[in-house]
Amino acid sequence: MSDRKLPRLLQTPAVLLLLVWMLIPLGMTLYFSFIRYVLNSLRRPEWTTPSFSNWRGFGNYEFVLKSKDFLFAIQNSLFIVCSILFLTVILGVLIAVLINKSFPGQGIVRVLLISPFFVMPAVNAVLWINMILDPVLGLQGIAVGGINDMITGLKDAPLVGWFFSMWPELHPISFRATQTSAYAVIIMVTWQWTPFAVLIFMTSLQSEDQQQKEAAVLDGANTWSQFRFLTLPHLARPIAIVVMIQAIFHLSLYAEIEIVSRGNGNKNLPYLIGEFANNNIGAASATGIFAVILANIVAIFLLRMIGKTLME
Amino acid sequence: MGRIVLKNVTKTFGETQVIPPLDLTIEDGEFAVFVGPSGCGKSTLLRMIAGLEDLTSGAIEIEGEDATDVPPAKRGLAMVFQSYALYPHMSVRKNIGFPLRMAKMEQPEIDERVETAAKSLNLMDYLDRKPADLSGGQRQRVAIGRAIVREPEAFLFDEPLSNLDAALRVGMRLEIGELHERLKTTMIYVTHDQVEAMTMANKIVVLRAGVIEQVGSPLELYHKPRNVFVAGFIGSPKMNIFSGTEAEKMGAATIGIRPEHTGVSMTDGMWKGRVGVAEHLGSDTFIHVHDTGLADMITVRITGDIAVKHGDTIYLTPQADQIHKFDAQGLRI
Repeated sequence: MSDRKLPRLLQTPAVLLLLVWMLIPLGMTLYFSFIRYVLNSLRRPEWTTPSFSNWRGFGNYEFVLKSKDFLFAIQNSLFIVCSILFLTVILGVLIAVLINKSFPGQGIVRVLLISPFFVMPAVNAVLWINMILDPVLGLQGIAVGGINDMITGLKDAPLVGWFFSMWPELHPISFRATQTSAYAVIIMVTWQWTPFAVLIFMTSLQSEDQQQKEAAVLDGANTWSQFRFLTLPHLARPIAIVVMIQAIFHLSLYAEIEIVSRGNGNKNLPYLIGEFANNNIGAASATGIFAVILANIVAIFLLRMIGKTLME
Repeated sequence: MGRIVLKNVTKTFGETQVIPPLDLTIEDGEFAVFVGPSGCGKSTLLRMIAGLEDLTSGAIEIEGEDATDVPPAKRGLAMVFQSYALYPHMSVRKNIGFPLRMAKMEQPEIDERVETAAKSLNLMDYLDRKPADLSGGQRQRVAIGRAIVREPEAFLFDEPLSNLDAALRVGMRLEIGELHERLKTTMIYVTHDQVEAMTMANKIVVLRAGVIEQVGSPLELYHKPRNVFVAGFIGSPKMNIFSGTEAEKMGAATIGIRPEHTGVSMTDGMWKGRVGVAEHLGSDTFIHVHDTGLADMITVRITGDIAVKHGDTIYLTPQADQIHKFDAQGLRI
């Protein structure tokens, strides 16, 4: 027994620190979610200090479940996360396979590809929504305007003028609108996180056994079959890792949503927590617990799905 | 069927010429072994036949048809790799059936062929396992199974046994030999192990630095090595090769005598020496003799046992008709 005591003793500070780090915030969230706790109340000043005497049971949970934005926030969270995962994994695999072949300037291309990942989320959102997606001043507005001008010019051209005069005028999309703000977030986060997927898939591709590929070539497998039957199964584990890490990160998106539309038409659970936390800490905490449950469900569900489809 | 002809084949990687112009014919049904020290180009040559490496110049003919620019899969060859190169996420059944699946064969026929191959290789109990759950020998058999379901014109083996332990290697050697007897298909086998070459081949091709040193049957190579390199490479323990006054006396620049062709006496003989390490194998004894004035060490092989101790004085007498003589260029006289 004594030879185990020393290692245990040495582990204790780290374990304690981890416990404090994880259990105290979780415990406090749970505690606040079961009491009435608001930041400011003239009518009931006793609710502004957390105390067991303000016990509300599952009242906060009921309040959150009945609030009009809750179901929408969950659906929207899932929509945003799944869209981003789908796009980053597909783009990531394609780009990784593409740059895995050696070509001149490979090093620079790789650094450039990874650079979006170094941009801060808030900066990323500001850049995209103002400089690229803006319907007037952004790249989108300029491009749509340019295409419209070109088509207008061609309408008067001889011979082909009749063809272009039948074309409609294109309208730029406003990405701050209720209907489109979620797409803006998906686009910008996909741009930022595709490099992460590329990086992980690229390292994995480099560890792929070349003799297996040669064997497959001799077995008559074409490029697609090699990709489908060798590369993709080889990437199953890194894909699972990318999906899990991203699912956890993107369920807590906040800056992008705030900057694009201040939650207009595009809320997720963290944003809802933020709105509740303006005053109602109890409801915000209950939403937080829902978010923890959702994150776990999503992670488990996604991992199962990927494991089954790729591992055969 | 599987007659393979190499005509003036060369290979260069950048500036270095790995294979200088080389001609070789492997007859249908032959078991040819490419043997040589590592880096001699034997694997490159095999990969060129398989189509995994391009030829720098020259031509390859398979069954009388030019295959130089034919893609690997269309050459009708099957290859077994040193690392087995099994597909790790597929079951044994799927691994063996993969070439047939790629050939768009119907599923019932694939199943039938896979079962036949598995039966002949004793893999029936493992068909639904993954390669990671198999032992080295079983993995090797799966790799062979994947090769035989295609019913190829010729099999190519790239050092298939070097990842196995010694006991298993002997067993697999016999199995591959059996397979060749049964299928009568051309086989080309690359190894650096001359024992594998001697035991399995109909035809041994000894390579050094991309150049064919000698082509012949195992016993031809053993009894009549064309030069000093082949003499030293074929045979275990190695032939004793030395030059100097003893060689000149016999009218050669260099002479070689195999350990098993040297007589031993404790009292008198042609050469006097001191016993170094003696390895007693029971059936044979290998004695390493020093201070003979011929070479650093002379190895002698004696059938049965002999009572010698480290440091004993010993006399050696070569069998006169078994002495190999070579001229100054290292060629056999």
